[in-house]
Amino acid sequence: MSVTLAVAVGILMGIVFGFALEKSRVFEPGIIVGQMQLRNFTMLKVFLAAVATGAVVLAVLNGFGYVKLAPKPALYAADIVGGLILGAGISLAGACPGTTLAQIGAGYRDALFTLIGGLCGAVAYSYAEPTLSKTFLGQGGGKLIFSDLAGIPYWIGALILAAAIVIILVALESWRPWRPELGNNVDGDVASPQGASQTNIRIVPAE
Amino acid sequence: MLSQKAWSPYVAGIVIGLLQIPAFLIIETALGASSSYVTVGGLIASWFDPAALKIGYVARHVAINGKNWWQVALVGGVAIGAFLSMKMSGARRHAISPIWQRALGSASPAKRYAVAFFGGFIMLFGARIADGCTSGHGLSGMAQLAVGSTVAVAAMFIGGIATATLVLRRI
Repeated sequence: MSVTLAVAVGILMGIVFGFALEKSRVFEPGIIVGQMQLRNFTMLKVFLAAVATGAVVLAVLNGFGYVKLAPKPALYAADIVGGLILGAGISLAGACPGTTLAQIGAGYRDALFTLIGGLCGAVAYSYAEPTLSKTFLGQGGGKLIFSDLAGIPYWIGALILAAAIVIILVALESWRPWRPELGNNVDGDVASPQGASQTNIRIVPAE
Repeated sequence: MLSQKAWSPYVAGIVIGLLQIPAFLIIETALGASSSYVTVGGLIASWFDPAALKIGYVARHVAINGKNWWQVALVGGVAIGAFLSMKMSGARRHAISPIWQRALGSASPAKRYAVAFFGGFIMLFGARIADGCTSGHGLSGMAQLAVGSTVAVAAMFIGGIATATLVLRRI
């Protein structure tokens, strides 16, 4: 496929992605840090809903033979070390690599520093990669997926995952309804002076 | 619908999950975001240090092909989409989210910018070690039942929760 077409498809898909990230508020630092402090579960809800949908989509597309799966190889040491560092970065940035761009689009100025830091981090890794890939971080196996381990077809495994996620989300929603978690300014900030002042207004007695 | 400030997280999640259809059918890859930082960062680095292109990892990522530049276009589109969505709903943002004053214990923009830069740096350094981020390992890897991706996502949440609890203050 031509690069021009791929870029055009990418921009259109990105616009839809950016819309969904902005509307769900999951790009908000207040939502992401709130999730990591286990006070706000919006991020988990969006994430799990997207995983379940992707699993159903791929169960159909792969089950009927339209597409091949493309799982990443299981490099456990790299997955654990990289994942821990990535997670620490997500909390300090209040963003993920994708939502950083949504923050820039929505007008958060600090996200420009996250982006520049991210580009520098990616370049730093690139220079280190020839060395790092020879260490324990480069050790690992093949493209392992759970349904193969269980000896069932992928599509069945994917539908089981989707069903399990639906059950988790129903429980999560009844425990923590989504709307109050967004806050008055839909930024996941439920402890701001704006919130407090509204509470004050309510408790001031009428004359 | 488009002028609302917030959608249900489930509706938004379904929309994001459906993006796997064009990703797999048209581009023959899964949704991801973090390799685009190597494509753009590697290209910029090569302007100052042409030898950077001799690193196979950089050369693979900056090569002019559909997959590399599709992902750059995707993350660029995310900024456009979020901007349009914000304009349509009028959910304007401050320059810095009000939560940072509490999380960092300081109202100084300079401190926030420094933390954002450092956070972005280790976020991408970690994502490249793990070979994926919240999108590639999270959305795509878990939907494909990938064992390594599931381990990476668990580590990501452990690292994130530890940092948000031990380093940041309560928001």
